[in-house]
Amino acid sequence: MELNQEIKKSTIILNNIEEQEKVENKERKYLRRIFFSGIISLLLILVIIYTLPMTVLNVSSLFEYAIIVALVIFLFILLFRYFAILVMAYLYINQYTYTAPAGGFYPFVSILVPVYNEEKVVSQSIKSLLEINYPNYEIIIINDGSTDKTKEVAEKLVGYQKGKLSEVKVSLINKPNGGKSKALNAGIALSKAEIVLCMDGDSQLSPDSVRLAVRHFVNPEIGAVAGNVKVMNRGKLFTDLQALEYIEGLNMARSAQSFVRLVNIIPGPIGLFRKKAVEEAGYYSSDTFAEDADLTLKILANGWKIYYEPNSISYTEAPAKLQQLLKQRYRWTRGILQSIRKHKKLMINPSINLGDTFVLWTMFYEALIWPAMNIAANLFFIVAALVFGFSSLIFFWWAGLALLDLVTALYCVAVEKEEFRLVGYSLIYRMFFILIIDICKAMSTIEEFLGIKMSWGKLERLGTTKS
Amino acid sequence: MELIPILSTIILVATISTFLLAIGAYVLYKVREQKGQAASVLQPSEIKAELVTPAVSATSKVEKERIIPQPIYAEPQPVPAYQRQPIILEQEQMPTQHTKFTPKPQPYSAYRTTFATPVEQQRSRQGQSYQSMSSEENQFRDSKFLKYTTEGYVPAKEDKDAGALKWR
Repeated sequence: MELNQEIKKSTIILNNIEEQEKVENKERKYLRRIFFSGIISLLLILVIIYTLPMTVLNVSSLFEYAIIVALVIFLFILLFRYFAILVMAYLYINQYTYTAPAGGFYPFVSILVPVYNEEKVVSQSIKSLLEINYPNYEIIIINDGSTDKTKEVAEKLVGYQKGKLSEVKVSLINKPNGGKSKALNAGIALSKAEIVLCMDGDSQLSPDSVRLAVRHFVNPEIGAVAGNVKVMNRGKLFTDLQALEYIEGLNMARSAQSFVRLVNIIPGPIGLFRKKAVEEAGYYSSDTFAEDADLTLKILANGWKIYYEPNSISYTEAPAKLQQLLKQRYRWTRGILQSIRKHKKLMINPSINLGDTFVLWTMFYEALIWPAMNIAANLFFIVAALVFGFSSLIFFWWAGLALLDLVTALYCVAVEKEEFRLVGYSLIYRMFFILIIDICKAMSTIEEFLGIKMSWGKLERLGTTKS
Repeated sequence: MELIPILSTIILVATISTFLLAIGAYVLYKVREQKGQAASVLQPSEIKAELVTPAVSATSKVEKERIIPQPIYAEPQPVPAYQRQPIILEQEQMPTQHTKFTPKPQPYSAYRTTFATPVEQQRSRQGQSYQSMSSEENQFRDSKFLKYTTEGYVPAKEDKDAGALKWR
């Protein structure tokens, strides 16, 4: 990489206006929400008290009966969800293997790298981007008002760098801090390419990631292609569990969604967009904390299809500490809930876009109902063991879930040609890792419901690189 | 002692501990977040940014040259199912006098919609252009049927005129 080339600096004006939510009295809105929830809960209790004498069971039997029915429903939904995802993911992989378009389509691509205080990793990221097997692309680094030496490090990288197949133009935009969404919008606006690749500043792309993803744009209906995100910094308990989660929880679900061309979230570390689709959707918005989910929903709402390319890989640094992990999941959960709320019209009215309605209900279920069910089931078994002495129930519950996760993990590891050792983590995946995540999701949901303010924050990066 | 009660106890303790750990970590996270909470600032409608690009030099010429031979995306037209795939043709291989093509000079990023027959696809892959074809080759292209002889593929008409074989 040739550093310190001759550069030209110019001032540009960026449009900072974006669609705003209707201004309303938030305090009143949340008070109204709490009031109505209270009224509904009270009504429910009154109905139970009123109908209780009419039943043949006593209170404790009714309680047990209700819990058993709830558990059976939970088990049914759990199994249905698993098998539906597994079957659809399997069908997608079959379809992908036989019908994926061949190469030979090399449109000009702009790779957008938003960076904020990434002095440790920005050079490595750009270096990895120059190793890409693609003949026709440029790199645009967007420095989002970093307070460390990111600007100086990035300026040294500007120039015509020697790529693997061609010379690659590296440009830099220095803008005041405004968040990832605004940084990406600046990059998209500057780009002259038909296809833009949005990634994270700390992510590294695999050499064939662009070539394999771009070929799907041959289909004019495809508005975006989601890549495959993998954990780079493995070897610790939480990062290994996240590595398993990415392949078992996220990628498998994305494969299943891709079977019907309705991927619901294009991941931040690698997402390719047709510029026209982004323009039609009104660019990234910063009114939610999950700008990826929001843009994806807007693109789907405009009738574009979204595909998942499993071999287009981006390696990202996952949070290694529990605190960092909770921070990330808190933001994801609240962001997804904000996106769902923002697009609630699409959720309620399937005549606008049936695909979006389906996607939104799936997101609602995964973000709200699923964690609540998991927590309730675990609490039930704890109470059953401590109060009623049915301690073996929790063992059978764990054994059933662990078996299900083991089979799924084996399938996913085989499909993705991943490390086999990750399969072992499936034994503690559901009862330990997912329980922590679900509790965080539940807490975040309550906070979102109450309208407690939140900030973006930034995960600490250690500067891990993929060798 | 039986195995199931021991495992049950281990899992019960682990689950309760996980619950406590998750709630504790969450509370701790919230406490830490509260300290670093910053007030939101109104964003202006336009912001100034600095664009840093490579200075115009000899290298930019290299880039221009690199951009010219871009592949052109050919949109698939309604054709039989077995042919229904997008066709990519190199710009310099585009036929100029063929009725189905109307190539115009355009920027590299504009991908045109064209139609190409399988024979044309084959030619484009082999790196041959229609301009460079001889009349014999054109006859070869226009022939509906080909016959394989010791001299390779020959148009069926030519073979028929030879009078060696007549089909009834």
